[in-house]
Amino acid sequence: MKSLSAKFYILSGTLLLGILLFGIPVGMTASVFAEDSSTTKTVKPTKSGKTAASSESKISNKKKLLFFESKVRPILIAKCYECHSDKKQKGDLRLDSLASILHGGESGPAIVQGKPGESLLIESINYDSYEMPPKGKLDKKSIDVLTQWVQSGAYWPNADLTKKVASHKKVTFTEEDRSFWSFQKVVKPAVPKTDQSVWNKNAIDSFISQKLNAEGISPSPLASRETLIRRVYFNLIGLPPTPEQIESFLKDESSDDVAFAKIVDQLLESPHYGERWGRHWLDLVRYAESDGYNQDAFRPTIYHYRDYVVKSFNQDKPYPKFVTEQLAGDETDPNNPEAIAATGYLRHYLYEYNQRDVRTHWQEILNDITDATGDVFLGLGMGCARCHNHKFDPILQKDYFRLQAFFTPILPRDDVPLATPEQLAEYQQKIKIWEEKTANLRKKIDQDLKEPFETLAKKQIGMFPPDIKEIMAKKFEDRTPIEHQYADLVNRQIIGKHKKYLDDLKAGKNKKRDNIRLLYLELDKLNDIKPKDIPMGMSVTDVSRIAPKTFIPGKKKKTEILPGFLTLLSPGTAKIMNVTAPVQSTGRRTALAQWITQPDNRLTTRVITNRIWQFHFGSGLVPTSSDFGHLGDKPSHPELLDWLTTYFVENGWSFKKMHRLILNSRTYRQSSSHPDPPSAELKDPSNRWHWRADIKRLQAEQIRDASLTISGELDTKLGGPSVKAEVPRRSIYVIVKRNIKDPLLGAFDFPGGIKSTSSRNRTTTPTQSLLMINGPWMLNRAAAMAKELFTQKLKVDKAMIQKAYLLAYGRKPTESELKSSFEFLDKQKELSQKKENPELVALTDFCHVLLNSSEFLYLD
Amino acid sequence: MNSNNNMEKQTIQQRRNFLLQSAGGFGAAALQGLFEIDSQKAEAKKKTINPLSAKTPHFPASAKNIIFLFMEGGPSHIDLFDPKPILNKLAGKPLPESFTKPVTAMGEASSPLLASPRKWKQHGEGGLWFSEWLPHIAGCADDIAVLRGCWTNGINHAGGVCQMNTGMPLAGRPSLGSWVTYGLGSENENLPSFVVIKDSKTPVVNGPRNWGAAFMPAVYQGTRLETGKVPIPNLFTPKGILEQQQQNKLQFLNTLNNNHLNSRPQQTELDARILSYELAFRMQSAAPEVVDLSKETEETQKLYGMDQKKTKVFGRNCLLARRLVEKGVRFVQLYHGAGSKWDSHKQMEKKHPALCKGMDQCVAGLLKDLKRKGLLETTLVVWGGEFGRTPMSEGGDGRDHNPTGFSMWMAGGGVKGGQTIGATDELGLYAIEDRMHVHDIHTSILHLMGLDKMKVEFRHKGRPERPTQNEGDFMKKLITG
Repeated sequence: MKSLSAKFYILSGTLLLGILLFGIPVGMTASVFAEDSSTTKTVKPTKSGKTAASSESKISNKKKLLFFESKVRPILIAKCYECHSDKKQKGDLRLDSLASILHGGESGPAIVQGKPGESLLIESINYDSYEMPPKGKLDKKSIDVLTQWVQSGAYWPNADLTKKVASHKKVTFTEEDRSFWSFQKVVKPAVPKTDQSVWNKNAIDSFISQKLNAEGISPSPLASRETLIRRVYFNLIGLPPTPEQIESFLKDESSDDVAFAKIVDQLLESPHYGERWGRHWLDLVRYAESDGYNQDAFRPTIYHYRDYVVKSFNQDKPYPKFVTEQLAGDETDPNNPEAIAATGYLRHYLYEYNQRDVRTHWQEILNDITDATGDVFLGLGMGCARCHNHKFDPILQKDYFRLQAFFTPILPRDDVPLATPEQLAEYQQKIKIWEEKTANLRKKIDQDLKEPFETLAKKQIGMFPPDIKEIMAKKFEDRTPIEHQYADLVNRQIIGKHKKYLDDLKAGKNKKRDNIRLLYLELDKLNDIKPKDIPMGMSVTDVSRIAPKTFIPGKKKKTEILPGFLTLLSPGTAKIMNVTAPVQSTGRRTALAQWITQPDNRLTTRVITNRIWQFHFGSGLVPTSSDFGHLGDKPSHPELLDWLTTYFVENGWSFKKMHRLILNSRTYRQSSSHPDPPSAELKDPSNRWHWRADIKRLQAEQIRDASLTISGELDTKLGGPSVKAEVPRRSIYVIVKRNIKDPLLGAFDFPGGIKSTSSRNRTTTPTQSLLMINGPWMLNRAAAMAKELFTQKLKVDKAMIQKAYLLAYGRKPTESELKSSFEFLDKQKELSQKKENPELVALTDFCHVLLNSSEFLYLD
Repeated sequence: MNSNNNMEKQTIQQRRNFLLQSAGGFGAAALQGLFEIDSQKAEAKKKTINPLSAKTPHFPASAKNIIFLFMEGGPSHIDLFDPKPILNKLAGKPLPESFTKPVTAMGEASSPLLASPRKWKQHGEGGLWFSEWLPHIAGCADDIAVLRGCWTNGINHAGGVCQMNTGMPLAGRPSLGSWVTYGLGSENENLPSFVVIKDSKTPVVNGPRNWGAAFMPAVYQGTRLETGKVPIPNLFTPKGILEQQQQNKLQFLNTLNNNHLNSRPQQTELDARILSYELAFRMQSAAPEVVDLSKETEETQKLYGMDQKKTKVFGRNCLLARRLVEKGVRFVQLYHGAGSKWDSHKQMEKKHPALCKGMDQCVAGLLKDLKRKGLLETTLVVWGGEFGRTPMSEGGDGRDHNPTGFSMWMAGGGVKGGQTIGATDELGLYAIEDRMHVHDIHTSILHLMGLDKMKVEFRHKGRPERPTQNEGDFMKKLITG
């Protein structure tokens, strides 16, 4: 895969850049993507371990004792015990008993008996991970002794391994920390038995009505069918029901329960379901299509990630698979283009095209990914622990970097083809012919570009600090993994310069080298035998099998932080399994995905369950849906949350099953008008006990999409590259830039794509109203809607008004509404006598008012 | 209670009369509809549903309003406020070994030092130093406190501009103007509370994100005021629609919305929506009025340099700033050199004087005008860019970005003028005395406006967010001298 992709890059549009970066050595610009990147250094202790193996494998116990007492123990006493025995236990490690050594410290066991190559102690004395002892490296003889000792099984006289080694450190967490609700096991509670048999449709209702009974609040009646169909259409597919759909639902003679269940089933099968529910996920992962910072350059291929999300929701992909593909699709399913596109999740950080401080920039990128992952999956404000132990939650600063360590090895990739192996093979067969025919021509172009490209690269590298220049001066294979990551950031800047140079040249702006432009024209003549490019999204892989070390920045003493989860929940380091896929990868992200999607994970399972509830009701059972810590709110119905969580996990982590359960509940189908709101409001002003349905303003995309739907303009094409806002496609396909929002979407609280957004604001401002009443966009929708209604008629009639009401509000007008509508229309006609078609002008005004009105903008 | 009710009724009546008289776009007929929900209850509710209603500061404020003059691109402190005689002696040589080499945007850490051939003079009773590039501002020396020890983190424009606006070089936090609006509300609900004006069509670095509200509701974000006939987008009835036609529409809309509201009591958001149309109407008359400079005397316009080609645009913006502040707009931000024009990587000696000329008299005019109108006492004027410039040269005649030490200044709003606070090293590279990080600058601005940086708190995702992320100290010398 690696080699395929590298080659592929060469063959794609930026032909010469590829060749220069991968093929012909341009010295400093050699890229990390080159094929020989696997020749990274191997870990030394393995080698020394092997030599020790044969000679020392057969010593008897007596010899072992002698060897230990005369050689090993003196070294330990002289070099290690100052920090790792009874007086001090740095890194929570003691080296004065075999039990302690095997138990290890913060970074895990110090040795693996018989395996010096896997022993941290041996790594450390070789200065390969830790550098121990810190005062100076042991002499070679001592290193050999300790290596031999581990190799021979680490004999220790009278070792007592039955004694459990407690952590030497003082307990960091209090009992209160440990007993906090979100860190408790999820236990499926019994469904409460309540007497209100009328109300109890399913388990959800039992929990809700139990609470309402206890609080002495009565629930609201069932909402009307007109209300429900509008509510559930916007909720599940983000679009209003058509008059015909409303009509058929109203006429359905089955019971209310059955008729509604049918609608739910239909909508869950609609391809538009993924467009609506995928958008919730895009908010969470801070999806946008530009770099941010000053240039805010467009990211033309990130839409593959958006399409992946939409498809995943439509396929009802089980949550563990969905999570795993996004965090580690390149490791778990590298031949699946969808899984590669999914790793776009790790590309939503901001990128600055001219940042010379690449060390800081890279750290910021990792922080950004860590913060988002904490928010999205763990529902914890991990970001707070970046600089210090969390002040309110039991999250250690170390935990932040334990989480970050899963991501430390990543390398951003824009050159991995989103194609199956079969597609790739076919492509390569075709491109070969083109390659052969164009070989000479391309060689010529390469030669001509070599000099200017090298000059540009040199100039660019010259702008970086000295240490980065040094890295760029190194041979590719001499760079360490982290140096590859830094070099990648530098190379992106060089590629940017090269691209600009080529663009200028091809546009005829470079008279001096116009011959190259002519060569390109020659090359273009052979385009008809060139196969169509295979798409490449934004993805990641790891930089190598060896992870760059993760440190806590700013700490004087550099202690490597190994990947791990919240110390409170799982104190050890994460178990990383080798990934078998044919890629250069550490397997760290796969391990993280596995942990997040463990059925018994207390946090992550509750977090996603709560989000599903939130997107149906507007607010979660835990209202702070990305903060399940002390600063967040406690669940309003803890038993219900746990019951739902268990239901979700037990039912194959299926979103659609959860939707069915929730939507068919009586709780969801309540009316927004309660028989006695003041009394209920007195007891529960924010409706946390669910005594009625909350009215909800349509979200930005719903407003735009609904307007386009009822004006008859919406193009419902699915997926593909993003389009300008003027194109009448669904809002999820409109280009999202981080620095400038579309005026309409922005006015209605479309999120910025910079930080994870778990729930949107709901703003009402005068400028918003100006946009609606005076802005051209809504006026144009009204005009189109009026035209559609008017068709070939000569006069505005009752049927048109009824249809307009049905389109905008999902119901027919009352007699008095019809009357006032016609009064308004008459006034407008009167005023527009001089215009070409006063009837149509009046109808347009009428439609425009409907589109501005609260009943259109709000859901009951 | 009773008298209170009467008073409220009276105010409503007065306001209705005022609005009827000044009926512009939305018109009188529509208004009658808009006020159908009028009642004491509705009025009280209005206060609670309008998030911009004025709020009491945490402690007595010396400044009620702020005008932030943003010199975009990074003006050279060592050529304007912070003379460095040694720089001229060492010109042509590399940065002495004793200096830690900074990471700079264009990698000019090792380039030779560039002389600053300025003519320096001390001004006013405080003896403040200004170069010959700022003759007019120098004339206001005794109102100005120069802050020479400023520093920031972002080495590039994107990070620097973002940080000077939001406190952080990374995007994602609300701007200072949003925090102030959130903390103090507005004194004039007919105009936006936080207004931004640019000096050209060129977009500013980072775009509207600089005055965005980030995770706070959009109601706190800055509104860009255009200086033409349409100061706010979509302000007026669109072309092709008759005024009467528009008024009928608004009246009909209001009927629909009120019917909708009446069948859904206890849903305040619906009230807010009706109110938003009312506010929009009032903005229709207030906004054009404030940008109409025809009532300003020729003398005033001259004071701002509006009679000269080079100072016409920014002079007008400065005058607008005064008018906005006069009307109670809380936070006015003017961009000068929008699109990084102060960014002089090349030809310092050509670019900087032109920029200074386009701004110097306008800013001095603003200070003088504010003063004679008695507004300077309560209006804090802040001048500065996202960073300064290096003593090292770039390309032989330019200077690179310098985030580690630069100058800003403040005037009015309780600031003691005629003083210099802080210092940079001998070459102007690093801030060394009375260092003020952007967080300190923001904390000081908030303090002068009566806001305690720890008490301005917005709960986001369950966490208490504050304007300076709890960092920063108030520079007491600003008021004590």
